[in-house]
Amino acid sequence: MASQGMQRAAREVKPILSLDRDEARKRVLNLYKAWYRQIPYLVRQYDIPRTVEQCKTKLREEFTKYEEIKDVRLVDMMVIKGQMELKEVVNNWKQKGHIMTYFKDTVEPKPKDFLSKFLQGKD
Amino acid sequence: MFRLTITRALNGAKVTPKPLFIAARLQSGEAKKPEKIEVFIDDQPVLVEPGTTVLQAAALIGVEIPRFCYHERLAVAGNCRMCLVEVEKSPKPVAACAMPVMKGWRIKTNSEMTRKAREGIMEFLLVNHPLDCPICDQGGECDLQDQSMAFGSDRSRFTDIDFSGKRAVEDKDIGPLVKTIMTRCIHCTRCIRFASEIAGVDDLGTTGRGNDMQVGTYVEKLFMSELSGNVIDLCPVGALTSKPYSFTARPWEIRKIDSIDVLDAVGSNIVVSTRTGEVMRIVPRVNEEINEEWLADKSRFSYDGLKRQRLVTPMIRDNTGALKPVDWEIALLTVAKVIKNAGSNIGAIAGGFADAEALVAVKDLLNRLGSEALCTEHTFPLDGSGTDLRSSYLLNNKIANAEEADLVLLVGTNPRFEAPLLNARFRKAWVHNELEVASIGPKVDLRYSYEHLGDNPNLLQQIASGQHEFSKKLKAAKKPLIIVGSESLERPDGSAILSAAQSIAAQASCSKDWKVLNVLHKVASQVAALDIGYAPGVDKIREGNFKVLFLLGADENAVEKSDLPADCFIIYQGHHGDRGAAMADAVLPGAAYTEKQATYVNTEGRAQETLAAVTPPGRAREDWKIIRALSEILGVKLPYDNLNDIRDRLDEVAPHLTRYGSAEDANFVSQAQELAKKAKVQLDNTPLDVKIKELQDYFMTDSISRASPTMAKCVQAALKHQQSKYQ
Amino acid sequence: MSSSLLMLRNVTKMPLKWAAASLSTSSARYVEPEIKNDVALLNPEEIEHKKKLQNYITIEGTTTDISIITGVPEEHVKERRVRIYEPPKNCMQSGTNNIGHWEMDFDNRERWENPLMGWTSTGDPLSNLKVQFTSKEEAIEFCEKNGWKYYIQESKLEKKFKPKSYGINFSWNKRTRTSTK
Repeated sequence: MASQGMQRAAREVKPILSLDRDEARKRVLNLYKAWYRQIPYLVRQYDIPRTVEQCKTKLREEFTKYEEIKDVRLVDMMVIKGQMELKEVVNNWKQKGHIMTYFKDTVEPKPKDFLSKFLQGKD
Repeated sequence: MFRLTITRALNGAKVTPKPLFIAARLQSGEAKKPEKIEVFIDDQPVLVEPGTTVLQAAALIGVEIPRFCYHERLAVAGNCRMCLVEVEKSPKPVAACAMPVMKGWRIKTNSEMTRKAREGIMEFLLVNHPLDCPICDQGGECDLQDQSMAFGSDRSRFTDIDFSGKRAVEDKDIGPLVKTIMTRCIHCTRCIRFASEIAGVDDLGTTGRGNDMQVGTYVEKLFMSELSGNVIDLCPVGALTSKPYSFTARPWEIRKIDSIDVLDAVGSNIVVSTRTGEVMRIVPRVNEEINEEWLADKSRFSYDGLKRQRLVTPMIRDNTGALKPVDWEIALLTVAKVIKNAGSNIGAIAGGFADAEALVAVKDLLNRLGSEALCTEHTFPLDGSGTDLRSSYLLNNKIANAEEADLVLLVGTNPRFEAPLLNARFRKAWVHNELEVASIGPKVDLRYSYEHLGDNPNLLQQIASGQHEFSKKLKAAKKPLIIVGSESLERPDGSAILSAAQSIAAQASCSKDWKVLNVLHKVASQVAALDIGYAPGVDKIREGNFKVLFLLGADENAVEKSDLPADCFIIYQGHHGDRGAAMADAVLPGAAYTEKQATYVNTEGRAQETLAAVTPPGRAREDWKIIRALSEILGVKLPYDNLNDIRDRLDEVAPHLTRYGSAEDANFVSQAQELAKKAKVQLDNTPLDVKIKELQDYFMTDSISRASPTMAKCVQAALKHQQSKYQ
Repeated sequence: MSSSLLMLRNVTKMPLKWAAASLSTSSARYVEPEIKNDVALLNPEEIEHKKKLQNYITIEGTTTDISIITGVPEEHVKERRVRIYEPPKNCMQSGTNNIGHWEMDFDNRERWENPLMGWTSTGDPLSNLKVQFTSKEEAIEFCEKNGWKYYIQESKLEKKFKPKSYGINFSWNKRTRTSTK
């Protein structure tokens, strides 16, 4: 197998929204706050079987999942996507089911260890 | 798609990156050979060797001239006239495939005259070609269909004034593999040239003239060749199509997966075409170093054996002596219990289809259990250097180089059926390079003339000591080859034969990088197994008094039940319910070569990988995974969970196993010869023999081809042909 | 609060600006004085920021892995193996215009016959993704960008050049003489 990942120290790239990481961070926090403020309305509006607290935990989870991202442009893209989702929530473009997919409570976990994967015949 | 089109547009039409690359290489070598001449193709200058044809010169700069009869691996026929092009100052268009270029020629491949010539030819071809593309198996990958889109008229001028209909030709029966619809034939004679040049079977030819010309065998007879399937690929129209594949699938609805053939030790590159989880056909894939673009019939047509006699569920033999299907859990637990009780008293035999991953997994498992009894089904002499030096069991000189040989000595082998594509190389050298061939072994038909020295192994001794006349020839030869068949090495005096061959090879006077001694194996797994460290031959198992015997696809009955202690528990892991499964107490269903991503090493020591084209049927699983699961239940967990992990392990065991596509050189020929001198075995006088002598023996040799109805039909046809008066 | 609104505005303005640029025509005879509303309303810092966005920024690290924003499910990023290869000529045909490039495809996964219509079903979203590239390097870069593990399958497709000759069919003392026509 060939060597994967060409190591390049620093690169010049076109920015999307933010010029540096501080600015990107500001955008993320703003997005987080906007979502945070929307949650009480969201819970009422969609009548989901989750409390505001649970939703807030989930929100935090969704944001911290990507805390490893370093690239400013990626952060910007994620912010844009988050913004779009928020808009979908606010405007009722999403439906109850869409909201509930964040919680994945109907998704059966796939087998992780070799033996159960083998017995199931799935990779 | 877009990128390609854009770059093409940027580079100027028709110039693809690859031909450019070739052209660049040619020009860099031009300094050494100043005699190159310059011609202009569509006003682009190109420097070519004298004698190059117009068509070849055009190909160098990426200009493709349409053709039907011309094929780069066959002789030039020049009879379809589709490649007519205009040459400036020439009153008539010239046939590009046959005309050598002259200095300063300006060739116009897109001019008005060229276009009219092509359109004229196309019109004549279509006058007598049926319009049955919708029901033709070639439809979608037909040269005539494609080219008629470019040069065909939008209407026909064919008027049937006599109401006699279009020309119709009776179909020929040339065997169970190739279907003929001779009305579609455009008389390009590619099949005829293939049969007489490559296959060496001069059966096909033309009869009649003009409108009455027919391609066929004149009398109805079988196309007796082990390479007959290739005429299907060669045929530019649908006149010759595959009989087993007929009306089953269309080229645009199949998925093509690149893979490797394992039915012989050559390791031909193939494309497996699948639809709905079923292998529909197998066609060759170009690899200049191995199979060019040919494929042997067994490799091409035995795929229907992959759907029959398959082991689809684990089975355990019950009290009544019948194999009962069980779940994986139960099978693994039962087997694990037996193995636990046996302790280190366990042996394993690897069969001809075992892949390197499974081989390594089984070896790791048995080693962890404290056993070293790992064998291959096929024997190889262990005296002298044995299998320690790779050069003693490889086809060292590589398959492609066989073309350059000027003298070949075959020892106890019938390459025509053991490695048809290697034999095709020999024949190519015999035709184009005046190759001389001599053989020690049974007198078989190789489809080229050779000197039969006899079948006594002592002849080797005579040649080695210089008493035989042949040794003079050998000394004079610049590029001699000795091909030792693996079957001759399975004899009790195998090591003496190998050692004699080694000493003959040492006498040859040739350059260092030309390797004289070559061993030709018959099964795909052998080289990998020996590389990994399996002991060749099953003597160990016979003597060992084992409690458990693990058969990894071993179907050749190398060990019978009677050779083993009565309480020996036999586990068979493989994909076909063949001889191995019949004697087993527990059956673990594995995957066939089209169903797993696995490594195989061919007879020249080239590691290649198959890709999974379909999923294993039923509960069958990839082989190394079965071993891995078993190891976990046994409590000796093997440290690999996925393909990357086991590939890393392969890399640890032998790094060349994961260097796909390249054949590592093995260079200890002289050391092997020194060690061989210490071997005590004497040559005995039993004549050298091979199992596969004639075509009917060739088709069914392993568990896949034995399960294949097509192969059974081939055997029938070949047997029937023996009764025929048209031999 | 103002900054958060600003961000929102920036986000929504982005696509509009591009659309306007592509629709503009320059054939009008009377040129109206150009008023850039957004510029007029922005404060100096914002204008400065906008200008800077036209330039380059420096980022650290290796190749950017865009797999989190492509929408490809995580398991299909981590568990798939991409094969990068040069497709060979189809043996059934003589045309060569569809080769000479590099291609990538994924490992093949299970597919089955759907009982409803007999068509083929698969649970693999990437099964039909075959991307063509002009060079191997481009394909590698694409895979790295998408976070896929890849390997390169080199193939030997070029053959030695040897001039063809019609004459050898008729040579009287060579084996190339054709007996069958």
